[in-house]
Amino acid sequence: MSAPSQARPVRVARRDADAVGRRTAWNALFIAPYMLAFLVLLVVPLGLGMWLSFQDYDMLAGYGGPVGWENYERLLGDRIFLGSVRNTIWFVIISVPAFVGLGLFLALLLNDDSRKSSFFRSIFFGSSVLSVTIVTLVWRLVYMPDRGLLQNIAGMFGLTAPNFMTTEALALPGIAIVTVWWIIGLPMMLFLAALQQIPKEVYEAAALDNASRWRVLVSITLPAIRRTIVLVAVIEVILQFQLFGQANLITNGGPNNASRPIVMFIYEAGFRDWMLGYAAAASQILFVLMLGAAMLQMWIGRQKDGG
Amino acid sequence: MTITKLTSALAAGAIVAGALATSGAALAQQKTEISFARFFGACDADYGTSQDYQKARGECGVMTTLVNHFNATNKDNIVVKPQIIEWGPYYQQLTARIAARDVPTIAVMHTSQIGDFVRSRIVEPIEDDLKAAGIDINDFTPHAKAGVTLNGKVHALPWDTHSWLWHINVGMFKQAGLVDAAGAPIVPKTVDELMQQAKLIKEKTGKPYFVMASVAAGDAGNGARSFWTMMYTQNASIFKDGNFDKADFNSPEAKNAFEVFERLSKEGYITKGTDGAGALGGFIGGNGAVLLTGTWRIDDMIAAAAKPESGLKEYTARIFPNLFKQDAVWADNHSWVMLRGGTNPQTRKAAQIFMKYLWDHNFDWARGGGHLPIRNSLMAEYAKLPERPNVMRITEIGRSLPHDVRRQFGFQSLIGEEVNNIINGNKLAAQAMKDAQERADQLLSRR
Repeated sequence: MSAPSQARPVRVARRDADAVGRRTAWNALFIAPYMLAFLVLLVVPLGLGMWLSFQDYDMLAGYGGPVGWENYERLLGDRIFLGSVRNTIWFVIISVPAFVGLGLFLALLLNDDSRKSSFFRSIFFGSSVLSVTIVTLVWRLVYMPDRGLLQNIAGMFGLTAPNFMTTEALALPGIAIVTVWWIIGLPMMLFLAALQQIPKEVYEAAALDNASRWRVLVSITLPAIRRTIVLVAVIEVILQFQLFGQANLITNGGPNNASRPIVMFIYEAGFRDWMLGYAAAASQILFVLMLGAAMLQMWIGRQKDGG
Repeated sequence: MTITKLTSALAAGAIVAGALATSGAALAQQKTEISFARFFGACDADYGTSQDYQKARGECGVMTTLVNHFNATNKDNIVVKPQIIEWGPYYQQLTARIAARDVPTIAVMHTSQIGDFVRSRIVEPIEDDLKAAGIDINDFTPHAKAGVTLNGKVHALPWDTHSWLWHINVGMFKQAGLVDAAGAPIVPKTVDELMQQAKLIKEKTGKPYFVMASVAAGDAGNGARSFWTMMYTQNASIFKDGNFDKADFNSPEAKNAFEVFERLSKEGYITKGTDGAGALGGFIGGNGAVLLTGTWRIDDMIAAAAKPESGLKEYTARIFPNLFKQDAVWADNHSWVMLRGGTNPQTRKAAQIFMKYLWDHNFDWARGGGHLPIRNSLMAEYAKLPERPNVMRITEIGRSLPHDVRRQFGFQSLIGEEVNNIINGNKLAAQAMKDAQERADQLLSRR
């Protein structure tokens, strides 16, 4: 009789001591709201999209049955789609280094407490709050071949401005300039936050050693914000793969399909031509491309960490 | 006593509040709201509260004031709620709304688009509704009647017939000596004559012959309408022998049509990289001799030419001329449809009443916008309006694709984009034909 009565307080004490750190199924409730939203808004649509990509589904005519890999096979023979893949990858290649390089450059310039820096930080971030419609409307007025701002300025010096809207080779770079101008604020702010985490003592020590500015940059600043550089690159790769509004509103994918991105192709196939299965197959290819590019970036970042 | 009084007062208050709420709800119940999906633009800054449809100008002004006037004057407690969507993505959004079962009560629809929606049984016959509303379908003009009739039944209330015009800066034609003894512009009869005129305009004014928007998604229609017109004037079609499942761009006629744009582009006789606003502003500013756009701009151009500071010196409109074999021009109709799942008995009745109102004001639409009315009984009156005698023949020579052609919006986009590629991207006509063929095959490869 005495043994159970002695054991009971011991068990109670152990339970109290472990209560905070112990894993129970009930703890899952803490993440349940997020998990529910994640499943309903992300995982289920992703699964449905994958299923849809193997179906003949017309938005008006309705469901036409499974078609296996036919949608993917047709995509591989569709020159407009292949062009959009090439355009999207090229756009990522030219815009992401600009976001990382220019974002870092601006952050380095404006990384102090002066009023001037504060003013310019607001200016550079300000354009990010504009909608894509306003941004593209403004830039169309800049790029317009005969009467645009660019041509007017060039005309004052007797020059002809480059024609970003009607020259195949310049269409995507023109859109990249608009995009960088529009949302350079976010990478700049991320770099600023990272720069302000670097202890000042390190810079003081470098100053005592008479280290040059370049030396300080490559030996102290860049290694210290390496993770942020990878973060910005990954974010921008994912964002720029989703290029749509600027291309749709400035060039409508032209001239000669030179600026049509994958998302615009998906939009046209799904909503203009009503071929939902075909559009879903293109979406899966975009998903794989984005996943691959983001994973590659992170892998490169980890390699550097390991080194 | 105090508590009793307080309780009584509260109870009385509750009864009064309840009665008020009930009567308010009853009033609200009597109002019938119908949603009204349309394009034609938004112009609340100019016409947001105006009901004076007789003074309104342009499609947007007339449409907005008509709805305001109906909402203010109808005796049936009907409230029309406009849902305004930009023209370019209108059909994409409408289809997405149908798929999401967010169906408007009444929607505007080009009769060229109705076929796809009827085949999907989303648009159903409305002859009974029109009869119930007191609309006489025998008064429909032949082109409008053909546009809304599928399988022998009327599926929509036509609203106008619109077509493709040359809006001409007569002052620039005069400058180049391209007017007759009466001072009227001489319109070319062949492609070579067109090129000679364009050369003269360029030499005498330094400006391009044609101004045409060719950049934005909505601009694809401009190239497509010009292409169709040039095909019709050659008595040709991309669909042959009644086979609407196969488009054929490999014809001499399609080559001719694309080559007109190739020649214009090479010689700098047509504006490049211009959007809708730029084209309109450029033409009014005197930066081109002929604006390629539709009937819907007639009234705007008359107003613009009347301003002393305008670069548009004397204005006239002409149907896109026959440069090949026969008089013919692309023409389409706006119409009003009731989509399946968009009405209940109450809103359907209200929709009939509003359609009757629109029918009664068809002339106001034609006057303010420039489109042709769809009622035979209004044609004589329409012909008295400025510039309208020049476009009256559209009712005779206007042509459209048969309703059997599937995905006509897709065709408009792909043809328009290929024309724009010739203009802006220096694509050769032969390559445009090849690419159009490939894209058309893709478009028709499914049900």
